[in-house]
Amino acid sequence: MAFVMAREWLGIQQFPPATQTRLIELLGKLKQENVSTLTILVMGKGGMGKSSTVNSILGERVASVSAFQSEGLRPIMCSRTRAGFTLNIIDTPGIVEGGYVNEQAIGIIKRFLLNKTIDVLLYVDRLDAYRMDTLDRQVVKAITDTFGKTIWRRSLVVLTHAQLSPPDGLNYDDFVARRSEALLTYVRQGGRLSKVEFQKNSIPVVLVENSGRCKTNDSGEKILPNGIAWIPNLVETIINVVTSGGKSITVDQKLIEGPNPNNRGKLFIPLILAFQFLFVVKTIQRSIQEDVRKENKSLWELRDVGVADRKI
Amino acid sequence: MAFAQRQLLSSALTPAAPPRPRRPVSKIVSSAHITEQSGSPSQITSSKEPEQWNSKKVFLFSAATASGSAAGGAFVFSLFSTPPPGNTGGGGGSGWGGGGGGGGNGDGGGFWSRFFSSLSPPARAEEEKAETGAGPEWDSHGLPANIVVQLNKLSGLKRYKISDIVFFDRRRGSTFSSSVDSLFEMVSLRSGGVYTKAQIQAELETLASCGMFEKVDLEAKTKPDGTLSLVVSFTESTWQSADSFRCINVGLLPQTKQPDMDPDMTDREKLAYYKSMERDYRRRIERSRPCLLPISVHKEVMEMLGNQGKVSARLLQKIRDRVQKWYHDEGYACAQVVNFGNLNTREVVCEVVEGDITQLSIQFQDKLGNICEGNTQLPVIRRELPKQLRPGHVFNIEAGKQALRNINSLALFSNIEVNPRPDEKNEGGIIVEIKLKELEQKSAEVSTEWNIVPGRNGRPTLASIQPGGTVTFEHRNIKGLNRSIIGSVTSSNLLNPQDDLSFKLDYVHPYVDGVTNPRNRTFRTSCFNSRKMSPVFTGGPGVDEVPPVWIDRVGFKANISESFTRQSKFTYGLVMEEITTRDETSSICTHGARPLPSGGLSMDGPPTTLSGTGVDRMAFAQANITRDNTKFVNGAVVGERNVFQLDQGLGIGSNFPFFNRHQLTITRFIQLKQVEEGAGKPPPPVLVLHGHYGGCVGDLPSYDAFTLGGPYSVRGYNMGELGASRSILELAGELRIPVRNTHVYTFVEHGNDLGSSKDLKGNPTEFFRRVGYGSSYGVGAKLGLVRMEYAVDHNSGTGAVFFRFGERF
Repeated sequence: MAFVMAREWLGIQQFPPATQTRLIELLGKLKQENVSTLTILVMGKGGMGKSSTVNSILGERVASVSAFQSEGLRPIMCSRTRAGFTLNIIDTPGIVEGGYVNEQAIGIIKRFLLNKTIDVLLYVDRLDAYRMDTLDRQVVKAITDTFGKTIWRRSLVVLTHAQLSPPDGLNYDDFVARRSEALLTYVRQGGRLSKVEFQKNSIPVVLVENSGRCKTNDSGEKILPNGIAWIPNLVETIINVVTSGGKSITVDQKLIEGPNPNNRGKLFIPLILAFQFLFVVKTIQRSIQEDVRKENKSLWELRDVGVADRKI
Repeated sequence: MAFAQRQLLSSALTPAAPPRPRRPVSKIVSSAHITEQSGSPSQITSSKEPEQWNSKKVFLFSAATASGSAAGGAFVFSLFSTPPPGNTGGGGGSGWGGGGGGGGNGDGGGFWSRFFSSLSPPARAEEEKAETGAGPEWDSHGLPANIVVQLNKLSGLKRYKISDIVFFDRRRGSTFSSSVDSLFEMVSLRSGGVYTKAQIQAELETLASCGMFEKVDLEAKTKPDGTLSLVVSFTESTWQSADSFRCINVGLLPQTKQPDMDPDMTDREKLAYYKSMERDYRRRIERSRPCLLPISVHKEVMEMLGNQGKVSARLLQKIRDRVQKWYHDEGYACAQVVNFGNLNTREVVCEVVEGDITQLSIQFQDKLGNICEGNTQLPVIRRELPKQLRPGHVFNIEAGKQALRNINSLALFSNIEVNPRPDEKNEGGIIVEIKLKELEQKSAEVSTEWNIVPGRNGRPTLASIQPGGTVTFEHRNIKGLNRSIIGSVTSSNLLNPQDDLSFKLDYVHPYVDGVTNPRNRTFRTSCFNSRKMSPVFTGGPGVDEVPPVWIDRVGFKANISESFTRQSKFTYGLVMEEITTRDETSSICTHGARPLPSGGLSMDGPPTTLSGTGVDRMAFAQANITRDNTKFVNGAVVGERNVFQLDQGLGIGSNFPFFNRHQLTITRFIQLKQVEEGAGKPPPPVLVLHGHYGGCVGDLPSYDAFTLGGPYSVRGYNMGELGASRSILELAGELRIPVRNTHVYTFVEHGNDLGSSKDLKGNPTEFFRRVGYGSSYGVGAKLGLVRMEYAVDHNSGTGAVFFRFGERF
């Protein structure tokens, strides 16, 4: 794993001053909590705007984005430092291929993440996608299988392409609410989270608009149709999630390989064997003896050996 | 190529003496043929399944009984099977039945039995036959028509034609000429026959001495056409009425020889004589053994006695027929009513010789049929015989057949005969003779074949012009204890056998606990190799061709199997094997592969072996207990079958595999309707319920994983199409409805991985995009050995027609 030297975060200067102030304020808050590094993992299906989001957060063009081609197959990690604080963002390739979750891509991501600690997961999807299908569930499931259920306590759902006019004259906030709810249901199912668990640690939904045509407010901050400046909002939500509890996930060899199913229950084998012998083999043996006893003998077999007693 | 084996089983009960024209011999001949033909010689090379022999078996059973034949009839069961090696022409065999005649036990008894003396064959039977067979030439009586002529008035030189025989009962004063009357049996003259005066006179003598009649006379009535009408006028013998009946077995009892009654005896002497006779007879009854005749028949006879006032000769004849019929129906072919005693008392005593076995002799024959010393040890044969064939029991034809079947299942003999014959030294006794022709101990065979594989568009094509074939050698019946060594080497390319050579070497050692010990344990050991395509590495629906993974196994196996019944057994042993996984190019592969949409192969699939190197070595213990009480009801299988199989890893081998892999199969064949059993009767409808659970705890390499889908798992899917997992559950139901002599069926099946696919390393189910569960339903018909079925795959909702060999359950 190539060690990437953390560079000074120059991209922050690209942001409007209001955003810059807010971000530095938020990072300072984190620092107060004694957190000096933050690693963000960005995952999702292909073409959802993962790389663009990464670029937007950093204010730099770190990940190449192209409209029609899928990005490279390898994950990229960008590290930036600002005032003693290190921000790592890991951009991953889309994990869907040919209508299925691509285990190979997941394998590559896992190997890339070896010996890294993930603080936050950004699950990226589009706001303007109306339909959900089992593929979404599979993607969530694949993520859960890879990192475990606890990852969802340190995650947020990011909906890109947020600058849209809802269809059929729906209220924008209503539309967002419905879309979020639908997506969260799938996340809950795919992540095999119980309803109680899910309610206790609700996964926040953040809206993002990466387009250059994104509207700005007076201070030049990119805003959403509902007037929220989304970059500070996103960072704030991330920091909230980090500070609100849950555990960072350290990816090690064990996590990558998953629990070895071959070792499960091995200790019980002698017990299982004893059970099988006493309850299965013996039962069948008894029923065989029963069969032998009950076997229909022909009359001639009985008659001559004194069993018949002239009755037959 | 494939050899054909043909076996012929025949048993025939033939009358002891050549058919005697004197008495009508009613014959019942029954025969049944069971022909079984299996397997088509064409083979599919890719399946690598064991050779299918084209075997042909013909069982023929025929029995002919002659009622009323002299005691000690003889029959022969014979079984011929041509020795398999080298016999390629379909084989053939012929059964023959014949046997020595039995001397009459029938007469020489008490004076009560005089009337049965007619049962013994007259000496001039042959001569008479020759004459009657001479043709239609006969002489006219040359007398005026319609006059009654005394027998002694007939000319001794003429050959008279008898056109009619009429019976005249003097006591009843009635005349009858019906041939249904039992009396008719007594007379050997036939209407339409040509006889000389001497013959007719001899007939009269026989009738007079047979005991049926107090008085009997023959008169001839002339007819206008020159023939004679014979009138038998008689007075039937009668005795005082009786109200009880007793049946005793007098077999092996010495016949009492009574001193001739001196005609000059005084009355006193006569009285003493009768008294001594009676005493003797009472002693005889006491010494006799109870017979097998059941109370039901006993009652029937009592009824017959009760309905008739006086005991008449005809009634006794009826009783004899009834009693004998029961014995013969039940298979006691040697049983014979020899005498009625105690007449003129309240009780009728029926003396039966049941056919007690006095000796059991086992003989070996060489190829020419001469008696020789056999290689097989006698206890091996003795343990196959039902105890009803041992001395002291009554000979039963069913026991004989059972012995025949059991000995045949040893597969050591080309010809088996079970033959009861009368014991000359012990009157009324039967010696059971078993004659055996041994098969060659050593044999070797080479067979070649050309393989046919499904080619493009499923059309059969010749795989190659190279011949494949098998070399087999056998050494059977080592030390005469039925131990055997069988080895075979098979290659699909005999010209270049190193390409794929499969071999098998088996050693079978039966009677581990000793030949005389009733416990039936067999020790088996074998070296084997096999090559199979792994169904674990199979794509799900919509996945392009997955590169196959071949599992090569080479190993050694030793086990002991104990048979409890014909079908139920317990086997336990040890297996040591080396497993090599190979790809299409026969090079060792370590991981499964899947084609990518880009056209490349993703090589990071599930590991094929436990060690990850593509080669595993392991030793494990194996046990299998099968409980099977299925039986055939008119050809349909009915009963239950439970199988539990266990592979217990011992931690010996690559990566120290320690596991417990278990499978439980439960199958129930439920008869839905009671039917009458018998040949030719329709089989009942049967509901089959089947459940199969397989699971594994511990190390589970992919080649030992359980797979779902396939003709023996979930029909309607390909082998392994549904998934491969750590544990599986299969449930199936099938309803079989008989149609003519086969059956149609409808079935529902479901297979589920119980969510355990992820517990298999590399999750092959998901890697190859399989669902992990699936149901199917369909209908089918059995056409001989082939099942034709239409199965609907419930996952995709599409159906297809399949042809399968053999049974699903």
